[in-house]
Amino acid sequence: MPKNRVAVIGVGETPFRAHVTDKTYVELSQDAAKAALEDAGLTPDDIDAIVFSMAPTQFMGVNDVEKWAVDSIWASGKPLMRVHTGGATGGSALHAGYAHVASGMHRTVLIVGADRVAETPDAQHILNLIWDPFYEQDFALNTVTMTALATQRYMHKYGTTEEQFARVVVRSRKNALQNPNAHLKGNITIDDVMKSPRMSWPYKLFDICPRSSGAAAVVLANEEVTKKHCSRPAFINGIGGLTSTVFMGDRVGPYTDAEFCDEAELTFAGAEAYAQAGITNPIKQIQVVELYDPFSSIQFPQLESLGFCERGRAQNLSDDGSFDMGAMLSVNPSGGTLCSNPIGVTGLVRVADAALQIMGKAGKNQLPGVQNALSTAIGGSVQFVNCTVLGADYV
Amino acid sequence: MLGVAMHPPSAWIADKRLEEMVFDTARAALDNASVDRKELDHVTIAASDELDGRSISSMLLSAPAGAYLKDEIKVTDSGLVGFCLEVMRIESGRFHLGLVSSWNKSSKAPFEDVMRMRCEPFFTRDIGLNMSIADGFFAQAVSRSYRISPSDANAAVHASYQQARQNERGMRSEVPSLEAIASSPYVSVPLRKLQQAPITDGCVSMVACSGEWLRKHPDRRALARVSGLSWRIDDYQLGEKRLSSLRGFQETFRKALSMSGLRDVSQLDVVEIDSQTSFHNLACRRALDLPSTVQVSPSGGPFAQNPYFCTGLVHAAEAVLQVSNRAGAVQVKGAARAAAHGSHGFAQQGNAVAIFEGV
Repeated sequence: MPKNRVAVIGVGETPFRAHVTDKTYVELSQDAAKAALEDAGLTPDDIDAIVFSMAPTQFMGVNDVEKWAVDSIWASGKPLMRVHTGGATGGSALHAGYAHVASGMHRTVLIVGADRVAETPDAQHILNLIWDPFYEQDFALNTVTMTALATQRYMHKYGTTEEQFARVVVRSRKNALQNPNAHLKGNITIDDVMKSPRMSWPYKLFDICPRSSGAAAVVLANEEVTKKHCSRPAFINGIGGLTSTVFMGDRVGPYTDAEFCDEAELTFAGAEAYAQAGITNPIKQIQVVELYDPFSSIQFPQLESLGFCERGRAQNLSDDGSFDMGAMLSVNPSGGTLCSNPIGVTGLVRVADAALQIMGKAGKNQLPGVQNALSTAIGGSVQFVNCTVLGADYV
Repeated sequence: MLGVAMHPPSAWIADKRLEEMVFDTARAALDNASVDRKELDHVTIAASDELDGRSISSMLLSAPAGAYLKDEIKVTDSGLVGFCLEVMRIESGRFHLGLVSSWNKSSKAPFEDVMRMRCEPFFTRDIGLNMSIADGFFAQAVSRSYRISPSDANAAVHASYQQARQNERGMRSEVPSLEAIASSPYVSVPLRKLQQAPITDGCVSMVACSGEWLRKHPDRRALARVSGLSWRIDDYQLGEKRLSSLRGFQETFRKALSMSGLRDVSQLDVVEIDSQTSFHNLACRRALDLPSTVQVSPSGGPFAQNPYFCTGLVHAAEAVLQVSNRAGAVQVKGAARAAAHGSHGFAQQGNAVAIFEGV
């Protein structure tokens, strides 16, 4: 049990686009912070501490960029820390913010960040430099080829087809049509995905997320502030995180602790979060998931690791429409990471979009009767994972 | 606090990869605490991609830092800010036994180039601002506001080196003569080369637990308890007010003291200050109005070792050693309360303070 209850009481997001040419990085951060504060009905003076969500700064080109953003996000004179766990950053930042409030040291925390992934001419070159300089950097290894390897293994293990992954893209782009902030959206077909240019087998261009620029922010509060300012908060009822080894080869085979292609680390992180949140039957108790899915093949293993179905079953349920909006489980009603990926805040966007469903503020994407929602974030060589269970009621 | 370990510092640790430094230090901290890695329920890391020379450096370093199959979060501000998160995670009630690690292998990275890339691209980058120049601005400002003369600064650095030479965990560098300090070249007026603490390689790990965990493990003995904690960021712009007033530094100390239930700094026995130059050293002492009963940086501070990113966490480890009467040759007799300070950003944009009490 946490010492203090923690709730999301405000959410802010900017539109996500390839380039935002009329604003600087710090102005983008400010836009999200301002939106979240307004949503929470708070002013900057009401915020006790700030957690800055930002992954590698090499994409946008300013080291320790949160120091530059301090004045723009009204952080001067307050406690601020930046969290960075690669793609998992936004989820980790949320968990760090949770610790701020749950510990009783702060009443309110603003979690904010921004990214401009397309500022660099070649993000995948930077994502080659995340690997070991002695052994791995010289391979054509980046996040596309790395996850393509995992996907090949998953297809071999469960017989998944490229068309089944393509259907995930079709669903995501369709969901994103109702999300004004989504970067990619549209009514496309499986055939469109299959005919898009080949990138790294089995990936085609449409199987891969865009490089997005934009910002997001979330306001967390303790019980006292929540009662005063928010009639319909999203309580943080469960958090779980796990770090695995960087080495992909150590995550395959019969003796591995967590199978690479199954993203089995999420099984452990999910179990921890579920235990805290009182979730014993995820498919019955959770209505919405916002999964970190920068590639079309990343949804199925997450859904299976998180107990929504048995291993190898997610592809069939996806084909049946069970993960469509308002069906058995609404998967990424926002369009998810496949449609917007500002890496430094993507995990936070997942939390924000899940919280909006609980708070009844998801606009045209709003689903009825959402009691529990779950968000995930994944980083590194699919080695940093975390998940958050949000609820309409405090558990 | 259950255990601490520091890697022996060096200007260039050439016989180990960074992963090996981190592993050896984390292992030593666990051994010092008599804790098995399997017992940990979380890990907190504080590190800088840019200084480590890799994007997402924790990909390769989280496992050596003990985080394999643990709930781990990385902070990028400084080692001592990472420690603040570690304490909050335990205080949240969700976690009970953790390992916090931070490191710096600047011998791998062109330090001032990394600092220059901190500058935003519109104004400060073009003028070539880096750490030394920012510290030069700071030195100019505090020379006026805290009445620090060049001879004061030379004497202070001489004394720091003398103190640092006593610390067997430090570099034990030769003490430069006052003449050598006074005639060393300017790096950024009024700051001279020998008035700066040299950057070193280093690593530090600490094991922390909740009171609940300790009660369930009566066979384990804590070294110290954390009684106060504070961290704060200030304006990005290097304006005269921020540079000259040390308001952020003072406020960070005030809040940590308040959390500890202490009236003022006179109730501390030891203060380890992150003074990157002798101007920082003197300005910080004067800003806190420290009485003579408080021993300032008995470890030698950054002049003993200065693994820049984690110097504040090194100070936390030194503070724990002081209040547990394990500080060796630099032990302050009867030290019961010790404060550790760390700073980050250009010219103390960020400050953090942790206060430890003996148990």
